[in-house]
Amino acid sequence: MFCGEKKLLETERRVKANDREFNEKFQYANNRIHTSKYNVLTFLPINLFEQFQRVANAYFLFLLILQLIPEISSLSWFTTIVPLVLVLTITAVKDATDDFFRHKSDNQVNNRLSEVLINGRLQSEKWMNVKAGDIIKLENNQFVAADLLLLSSSEPHGLCYIETAELDGETNLKVRHALPVTSELGADISRLAKFDGVVACEPPNNKLDKFTGELSWKDNKYPLSNEKIILRGCVLRNTSWCFGMVIFAGPDTKLMQNSGRTKFKRTSIDRLMNTLVLWIFGFLVCMGIILAIGNSIWEHQVGDYFQAFLFRDEVVKNPIFSGFLTFWSYVIILNTVVPISLYVSVEVIRLGHSHFINWDRKMYYSKKETLAEARTTTLNEELGQIEYVFSDKTGTLTQNIMTFNKCSINGRTYGEIYDNLGRKIEINEKTKSVDFSFNPQADSRFRFYDHSLIESIKLGDPKVHEFFRLLALCHTVMPEEKNEGKLIYQVQSPDEGALVTAARNFGFVFKSRTPETITIEEMGKVVTYQLLAFLDFNNIRKRMSVIVQNPEGQIKLYCKGADTILFEKLHPSNEELMTLTSDHLSEFGGEGLRTLAIAYRDLNEEYFTEWFKLLEEASRGLDMRDERIAAAYEEIERDMMLLGATAIEDKLQDGVIETIASLSLANIKIWVLTGDKQETAMNIGYSCNMLTDDMNEVFVISGQTAADVWEEFKKAKEILFERSTGFTNGYAFCEKLQELKLGSTVEETVTGDYALIINGHSLGYALEANLQNEFLEIACICKTVICCRVTPLQKAQVVELVKMHRKAVTLAIGDGANDISMIKSAHIGVGISGQEGMQAVLASDYSFAQFRYLQRLLLVHGRWSYFRMCKFLCYFFYKNFAFTLVHFWFGFFCGFSAQTVYDQWFITLFNIVYTSLPVLAMGIFDQDVSEQNSLDYPNLYGPGQLNLLFNKRKFFICIAHGVYTSFALFFIPYGVFYNVAGEDGKHITDYQSFAVTIATSLVIVVSVQVRQLQRAQDKATPLKSHKRQPRRTSSRRSGYAFAHQEGYGELITSGKNMRVKNLPTSGLGKTMYNSTSWIENLCKKTTDTVNSFSLDRTVKL
Amino acid sequence: MSHQESQEMKSNNCQGLPSRMPDNTAFQQQQLPAWRPSLTARAVLPGFFTTGVFFLSMGILLILSAKSVKEIEITYTDICSNCSKLRENASNFYKECTCSISFFIPEKMPGNVYMYYKLYNFYQNYRRYIISRNNRQLLGEDITNVENCAPFQRVSNDIPIAPCGAIANSMFNDTILLSYYPNSSTRINVPLLSSDITWWTDKHVKFQNPKSSNLASAFAGTVKPPYWRKPVYQLDQGNPENNGFLNSDFIVWMRVAALPTFKKLYRRIHRIQQFADGLPAGNYSLDISYNFPVTLFKGEKGVVLSTVMWSGGKNFFLGIAYTTTGAVTWLAAFSMTAVHLKLKKKKAFFQC
Repeated sequence: MFCGEKKLLETERRVKANDREFNEKFQYANNRIHTSKYNVLTFLPINLFEQFQRVANAYFLFLLILQLIPEISSLSWFTTIVPLVLVLTITAVKDATDDFFRHKSDNQVNNRLSEVLINGRLQSEKWMNVKAGDIIKLENNQFVAADLLLLSSSEPHGLCYIETAELDGETNLKVRHALPVTSELGADISRLAKFDGVVACEPPNNKLDKFTGELSWKDNKYPLSNEKIILRGCVLRNTSWCFGMVIFAGPDTKLMQNSGRTKFKRTSIDRLMNTLVLWIFGFLVCMGIILAIGNSIWEHQVGDYFQAFLFRDEVVKNPIFSGFLTFWSYVIILNTVVPISLYVSVEVIRLGHSHFINWDRKMYYSKKETLAEARTTTLNEELGQIEYVFSDKTGTLTQNIMTFNKCSINGRTYGEIYDNLGRKIEINEKTKSVDFSFNPQADSRFRFYDHSLIESIKLGDPKVHEFFRLLALCHTVMPEEKNEGKLIYQVQSPDEGALVTAARNFGFVFKSRTPETITIEEMGKVVTYQLLAFLDFNNIRKRMSVIVQNPEGQIKLYCKGADTILFEKLHPSNEELMTLTSDHLSEFGGEGLRTLAIAYRDLNEEYFTEWFKLLEEASRGLDMRDERIAAAYEEIERDMMLLGATAIEDKLQDGVIETIASLSLANIKIWVLTGDKQETAMNIGYSCNMLTDDMNEVFVISGQTAADVWEEFKKAKEILFERSTGFTNGYAFCEKLQELKLGSTVEETVTGDYALIINGHSLGYALEANLQNEFLEIACICKTVICCRVTPLQKAQVVELVKMHRKAVTLAIGDGANDISMIKSAHIGVGISGQEGMQAVLASDYSFAQFRYLQRLLLVHGRWSYFRMCKFLCYFFYKNFAFTLVHFWFGFFCGFSAQTVYDQWFITLFNIVYTSLPVLAMGIFDQDVSEQNSLDYPNLYGPGQLNLLFNKRKFFICIAHGVYTSFALFFIPYGVFYNVAGEDGKHITDYQSFAVTIATSLVIVVSVQVRQLQRAQDKATPLKSHKRQPRRTSSRRSGYAFAHQEGYGELITSGKNMRVKNLPTSGLGKTMYNSTSWIENLCKKTTDTVNSFSLDRTVKL
Repeated sequence: MSHQESQEMKSNNCQGLPSRMPDNTAFQQQQLPAWRPSLTARAVLPGFFTTGVFFLSMGILLILSAKSVKEIEITYTDICSNCSKLRENASNFYKECTCSISFFIPEKMPGNVYMYYKLYNFYQNYRRYIISRNNRQLLGEDITNVENCAPFQRVSNDIPIAPCGAIANSMFNDTILLSYYPNSSTRINVPLLSSDITWWTDKHVKFQNPKSSNLASAFAGTVKPPYWRKPVYQLDQGNPENNGFLNSDFIVWMRVAALPTFKKLYRRIHRIQQFADGLPAGNYSLDISYNFPVTLFKGEKGVVLSTVMWSGGKNFFLGIAYTTTGAVTWLAAFSMTAVHLKLKKKKAFFQC
């Protein structure tokens, strides 16, 4: 996106509320955003300018100019202008449509309405018309239009809740509170309209968690911090309304500042093609020079004497000048080695592939009616070359739904179900869930499958009751009773919501709270507890407690928190239960569940009052207040009795585990980059099997200073290399790491599995120049990398780092606005669509509804695209060399006079008409391996990552092949035409017959060639049959598919190169048991030709 | 965004709307029927053998056919060296020069015999030469149209040349007569036909005389090409039909050769009297009126007498090419069979 180009660098921003005139002096950007590139007027010049920046287009323009010089023009101008105009038009139309959609989406965002205070009245105003200094009213669940200073809200003390998922991916609610002076304004429009405070603050920047400024109002100055600011992209939650003053609008907002610039993405094949095109130009020039020298010599020795028949102009008579002119003439003639239609065809093919992605029913998510969408049509083949996948967590890997899944109460686990024989039953949609109909307050969406828990409750097990009582009491949830007495919980963190909802369903319904009381309904009986103290959660304590007094006067402390912390605070008598529970906890943890330990403590009144005094004293004190309060908390949170533990599932999206497994088999590395907390991220790592207990080491980097981080890296490295020397020798290991990219077999020798978890803070240091190599080195050895607490910008930096230093193709996938920068900087950005926010999708190149479709996108569509594109390019270069070089050979027989062999129209139409369809059909439809096989054998993805099918070497083979074909095409007719007569005696050795013969042979030869490349799609194969018996059909597939017997994928990853037992009967499929050899075979196969055929076609004429 | 909107619309409207699910067509789902041949030895080898057989037999047939073609070539640049010298000097343009060459045909040339003139080192395929003609003019539509004919467009810049251009200007203008000596005293002129020596399309489509009762008047307002002795409407004084753009020799010349060495059909032997079965063996002579300069550019010229077969003239190249291809195919087929059998045995061995 464009950040508004400032004429002057802003050093400080001054905004006066309700005073547009004052603010206009500074020319702050208004709230309109532009992501589009052109408008109606600028489209043509800008687009043409962009298009002619492409080497090829510029080259063709140059050719066109050359052709207009009569002395040189060896071909009419139409041979170039027809295709050139065609290409320019097609590209322009495509760019125009793309931009049209950007306009549309901009408009949609710009035209959203918000209520703005204008002239003392609230008016509906479009977002784009909002200006800095305006006061806006926001309502619940509305998107925030601009970066606002919170003035007042419906909640007491000017509090308001926002969800920042779009910004940083965190889903828990955040609190913002207004300055007391402004919160008094409330919803009083007249007073708000009179508000004329001036905000002086930092200039626009992209730091999401920092804001410094000052509000001057009524001769007073009030400091402003991030706590007072609501950023664009947030959603207002649990707050019925609030007022805010716009500080940054449109492109100045932190969201937009974070989104980075739109970069024109190109595939590596594109880049390679550009290089190759340059090489071809070089080659062209060489040929031109050879022919020009030939011409000079010829003119000198023969032409001079021949001129009696020609009367050539005086100028041309000079052999050297004639050679010079000939050079240009040959440049024109031979220009078809870089056919302009190559670019058209490539675009057409990519467009076709994109449509196949859009049309794929298997990537259609019926629940949300969301199609997969290829939003960029130029990147398809890159999908077949991905080596690194960077994934967001929330909303991408997970559904962002927390469910109460299991618990351990007093040493007994609940939540798993067993059949009669005591075997664990897999829970699926058909499993009967516990019937909560006895409880009118139950939340109908809640599912629990273990019936024994409900029985324990009904039997009145006191521990179980206490467990759920705790869950119902100890939390920060706000209840909201909607009409019909339906309870709605407003939660700060979805975990808590899940716990309270669980308690609610099991009969301990949290009903309402006041600052002093909590009312719950215990098994149908309403009980009100006095809330005596609330010991809040923080990151160091990792626990929270409430001290409540029940109607009987009993005082209890209920505590929930991280097990590691809590277990230290338990009463010694809990030893046995503790071991049992911690066993359960590690069991839960192993399944990737988020666990909390739960404990209580009975307090007597005297002790409590004494402690409470201590606490009050502490909180009254001015110095060391926080420490003293913490100490007071410590004092009371001890000698607790363990109740049990809860396990909450951060529900993964369907098929995430399988997808990750399959992608890893395809040698794709998956890094998780999340804004979420380390624990949460690690949990998810475990639940998607990215982290396992079998791992040799999980490095956690969380240093707060550069030195710490460096130290941690050093340690990690030591461990890595020490360990590995145990298995192989260290030097070899290092070597192998360097070659890590070279194939799965090498990777298997890295016997250890390592994982790296790095914190946002440390990542900041790790990304600095002096540490980034260390970081990258370690990260690339590790099987799994998880970065947590990262900012959107860091996400992009990580992607850039890998892109730069690893030269690998990267893919970033995410769903929220915080992923935009990463999506944009990766080679390919994928957005998860079908959710609330659409920013990620809008910034992405591909979008679909579920993470699991990534597998299909890469392994099927990407792979096919890559294979097709490579075959296409090889073929196309071959074809055009075969086509063009005939002129070169002919040059030796026509006095190097730049006479073409073919008719001009044949040259113009050769690529467009004569040979376009077969190659396009191949480029669009060819399937070397069926989709089922590509999915079953992820290793088939390898050639793309190693870039085996189209690289410089392949290119030279194609070229050599083309040269050879052109040689045969010219010299065989030459031999045949030499001194021959027709069967009726008439002379047939004329130029026209010769031209037609060669042209016809050429068309036949190159078309036969394409059939060799193409596994043509024209006869029926019962497709259904291989759905039923995929293995069997696969065993009689083409060459390399033979190798893939059952369990092939495992074989290859196990590192043992096993010999395939049944060799296929044909010589083709022999010994393709290791991945490189079948790849080589594949390469060979595509270059095998049928030139024996081509040689003899000429006979026909 | 468009997604979301339409989704909302959908949920608002009702479920009656068709789902957005893509159509389940074979095309869209990339499940078009496909032929996936498995190239087993069993399927491939017979194909190789058959192609091999085909090519070999074609090759042998072609070679035999070319072998049976009788051809005799007489180059006369050196023999008529005095004429050659004369023609090197342009000032001798209007001087006649004739030259006679005797030769011997050892074997009878049966069937149709054709007489060609052959030029060496004449670059009819030179670009500036090849484009120097105007097909519209040759169609007789607009004989003053001399576009593209540079450098032979007009004389003294206003009168158009007909036929214009370098090709027409450089037309081969030797006359060749063939005589037969059944014995040392008798001389019989071999009857030569100039009809039917052009392509049908050339004579009937591409070349037309301008519409007029009198050819001479039709070409009024134009001049002959500078190297010509006679204007285009007087090319064949013996046969008034064979004049103008429709002159057979002219048409043959205008069909430019592809390569710098070429032969063009000059006359057919009229099969009457002694020559009904072709040219009998014996002594012959050529009487050449030497007009066309070739030594200037180190060229040579000659006369070729040849019979033809179904495969055309005497050219072994095609036959050899076929035979070679056939042989290579067979070689490949045999070696593949050998590999196949070897592998098969090995496999059997492994399976035991």
